Amino acid sequence: MEATTASSKPDAIDLSQLCLSEPVAVDLTQLSLRPLGLSDLDDLMVWTSDEKVANFCSREPYTSKDQGIDFIENAAASFLWRRAICLKDRAIGCITLSSYADVDKAREKSAELGYVLGSNYWGKGIVTEAVKQAIKAAFIEFPYLDRVEALVDVENLGSQRVLEKAGFQREGLLRKYLVRKGKSRDTFMFSVLLSDLHPQL
Amino acid sequence: MEAASASSKPDAIDLSQLCLSEPEVIDLTQLSLRPLGLSDLDDLMVWTSDEKVANFCSWEPYTSKDQGIDFIENAAASFLWRRAICLNDRAIGCITLSSYAAFDKAREKSVELGYVLGSNYWGKGIVTEAVKQAIKAAFIEFPYLDRVEALVDVENLGSQRVLEKAGFQREGLLRKYLVRKGKSRDTFMFSVLLSDLHPQL
Repeated sequence: MEATTASSKPDAIDLSQLCLSEPVAVDLTQLSLRPLGLSDLDDLMVWTSDEKVANFCSREPYTSKDQGIDFIENAAASFLWRRAICLKDRAIGCITLSSYADVDKAREKSAELGYVLGSNYWGKGIVTEAVKQAIKAAFIEFPYLDRVEALVDVENLGSQRVLEKAGFQREGLLRKYLVRKGKSRDTFMFSVLLSDLHPQL
Repeated sequence: MEAASASSKPDAIDLSQLCLSEPEVIDLTQLSLRPLGLSDLDDLMVWTSDEKVANFCSWEPYTSKDQGIDFIENAAASFLWRRAICLNDRAIGCITLSSYAAFDKAREKSVELGYVLGSNYWGKGIVTEAVKQAIKAAFIEFPYLDRVEALVDVENLGSQRVLEKAGFQREGLLRKYLVRKGKSRDTFMFSVLLSDLHPQL
């Protein structure tokens, strides 16, 4: 499956194009998390316009670059923390932490994890690695946090596996907890605590 | 235990004062839910100033009638629905439904139940009855709702019993989910669905 975007460096050999044609193991040392920028727009449009990716998300697939620009420039403020998931510094997905502290003071020591990855890259351990890095970043950059949680649709088996492998505990099935595509969906609640990682805390 | 407030009708015989002195069975047919008004201020100050009542709440005990007036007049707008729990039309507590739809569209078919009752009246089945009435009101007045949920501290055994008796299901233990008195607390999630009450829906 070829990426639908042109490489941002047309004269260089685009190794990511080679990877896409054949199922290869991804070298996870080539993975990095960094802020999202406007230069990532074309790469971002790949996963945001993909129906398979949008299926378990709250948003519809993007149809215009304006939506991509809006997400890169304006949506950052709505997250506590946001990073592009990069392979060899090319953005292939996104990982975020959200806080509800200004809505409910009783939730000020929790953050909610979210992530999205281009479908070409599913099943290779990429998001699991990104989540492990994100949890560390969360508890270091926001030392007041006790809890990082994640909500996953009961049908999203891949995402459930990611969280289990990344060290989250499944706490319960919240029935008809979230509306997706107009219907209330059963949703698993997962969490990892600072004290899971550092028992003395 | 006498109520701390003066009766609003000093010349009438105040039967609620007689009840308070001895552990009596409450006549649940005398229970009603109605909107809270300024005339309930003195009765409201009884439960809002009580440390035992505030213990599992997010707020500190009220020390001034201004706080009571503010709650009656201004806080109504922050709830989707609010009613006084009344015995013989005297307010002895309060029951509320809160919506997070304004912050998260994915939560627009859920509401969160909350309740508070003067400690003199605990353990008599009053809140269980009020909750049953509130659930019916919720699904009738807000027909788009699929779910009513409630969050209860792991140490609040009385409140857990209320929800179980009122037909809620306990879905899981959310670890360090809510901050109370400055510390993250383990919290049970309970819910009742419209489809629990009406299986064909």
